[in-house]
Amino acid sequence: MSNRTLSRRDFLKLASAAILTASGLLGLEGLFRFLNTQTEPLALTDFDLGPASNYPPGARTVLPDIPALLVHTESGFSAISLVCTHLGCTVESKPEGFACPCHGSRFNPQGKVTRGPANKPLHTLRVEVTNDDHLHVHTD
Amino acid sequence: MRRYFLLAASFSLLLSLLTAAWQESLRPKPIALTPPLTGQVEYCLTCHSDLPQISNSHPVQTFGCVVCHGGERLALNANLAHSTMRGGKNPSDFSVVQASCGGANCHSGTAESYSNHIQRATTSIQATYAGAIASIRYTFGVQADLKARLGIFAIQVPQSTSGITALEAFDPAQETNPFVQAFGQTCLTCHLSALPLPGSVYIRFTGCSACHTPTQSPDRTSTEQVQSNNIHKLTTSIAYTQCDSCHNRGNYDLRNMTFELRQDLPADRLHDFYQPIAQFTSCEWKLDCVDCHTRTEAMGDGNLYSTKKDIQYIQCKTCHGTLTDLPQTRTLTDPNDLAFRLALLNPVVDLKLGDTILVTEKGEPLWNTLALPDGTYQLVGKVTRQVFLFKPVRGSGCTQNGVDQSSAYCHTCHSVER
Repeated sequence: MSNRTLSRRDFLKLASAAILTASGLLGLEGLFRFLNTQTEPLALTDFDLGPASNYPPGARTVLPDIPALLVHTESGFSAISLVCTHLGCTVESKPEGFACPCHGSRFNPQGKVTRGPANKPLHTLRVEVTNDDHLHVHTD
Repeated sequence: MRRYFLLAASFSLLLSLLTAAWQESLRPKPIALTPPLTGQVEYCLTCHSDLPQISNSHPVQTFGCVVCHGGERLALNANLAHSTMRGGKNPSDFSVVQASCGGANCHSGTAESYSNHIQRATTSIQATYAGAIASIRYTFGVQADLKARLGIFAIQVPQSTSGITALEAFDPAQETNPFVQAFGQTCLTCHLSALPLPGSVYIRFTGCSACHTPTQSPDRTSTEQVQSNNIHKLTTSIAYTQCDSCHNRGNYDLRNMTFELRQDLPADRLHDFYQPIAQFTSCEWKLDCVDCHTRTEAMGDGNLYSTKKDIQYIQCKTCHGTLTDLPQTRTLTDPNDLAFRLALLNPVVDLKLGDTILVTEKGEPLWNTLALPDGTYQLVGKVTRQVFLFKPVRGSGCTQNGVDQSSAYCHTCHSVER
């Protein structure tokens, strides 16, 4: 069994080295987190709705994430934004058209205003069927 | 010695880094919201996700918080986040209301769009207090007539049917009459910019929220809400108790220039609604004030007036008619009729195109009423949702002179004994 003792100088050296190492690791962790800071993601403008076959002719599908109403008629797919053109509330799809629960605006099934305070029609959104037969709705 | 210094410095560095890491761990994980109205991310919900939605017309997912309240939208430190809030807890205070609630699409629109609320409210007699000020100054000989010249704050309008287009700010320190000075010091407690008197029955906010934020229970026996100034709600369902946080809370004593607070605090509606000295009819205490009094009576019509009598015009005959005339009605044929918008804000009735409702002499819709096919009428309480059925005076046994609509005249037969 060796009888080595740690001199005061060695102890101070070792302790300083340990503390500096810990500080360095902590600093690196901070730097790593800083460099990996996630900014708020930009709002999506392209929504992949999956296979177009999921939306058979005659289907009227509310897409709450956009929000929009996807309609599949004989003439193809169309989508109408459910964002009220007054202040941006989400309008509700009704048999007679669309109704804004916030301030009472009404729109006909084509999105034209039938009662204010909104004075602009609901936006029509671009619908695209991609080569892989996926349906995409674009809000830009 | 150098070694000790190096060790101390290293230890200090580690301590600093650990403290920073600890502080960082205490920071809440931000909850981001990007309301469509502003399109700007805000982190208010990180701490305030438990707040109830303020009203169906102002959903937080659409409006966010900052557009009304101000504040630093990206701050996660409470002091910093709140440092630039408008009006503290109350962004509707008239000192900041234009920035908080204004905007052409919001509440400083046009008279034609029915959304010029700020212009109307800030010129209303409840905001300017011009009537009380003019009355006191006239009573004590400071001005020659009752025409309003001064208000709680200076304000002007481009034109006014009353002929009054501007009010200067009332400054008690500029007054020389001691009674008017005393009035200024002790009696300016009930206008819409005044802080409430101490006491639970006086609790209210200022500005729009003085009326539209229900700080009072719907009636004194209700446990629905307790009196509180810590409430996040806007409503047009305004209980009489909210009105009574200013009205019917006492009387002015002009000899001592003091406001003598009402001493009785009855728990039942019949005795609480009006002061003991007042006479009233059944409908006057079973209904709430807003069931009859219209939005322009309470919030003004955009003109400056000298007295509330210039703007209040609802009378018994508005709903009951006279011996010769039925009350005025309107059949709703326009989907943009104001009645629909008002009914949407407080859906106690389900108005439909083709319904016939009562309207006031100025054409304001009494949207909570309905003319029934049998010639009678229905009113639904805007607060209580209670249904009241009533008949017109015409064809009844009433022998009134329809011209006289003073309350004392109608109360001769229709007062309630307490």
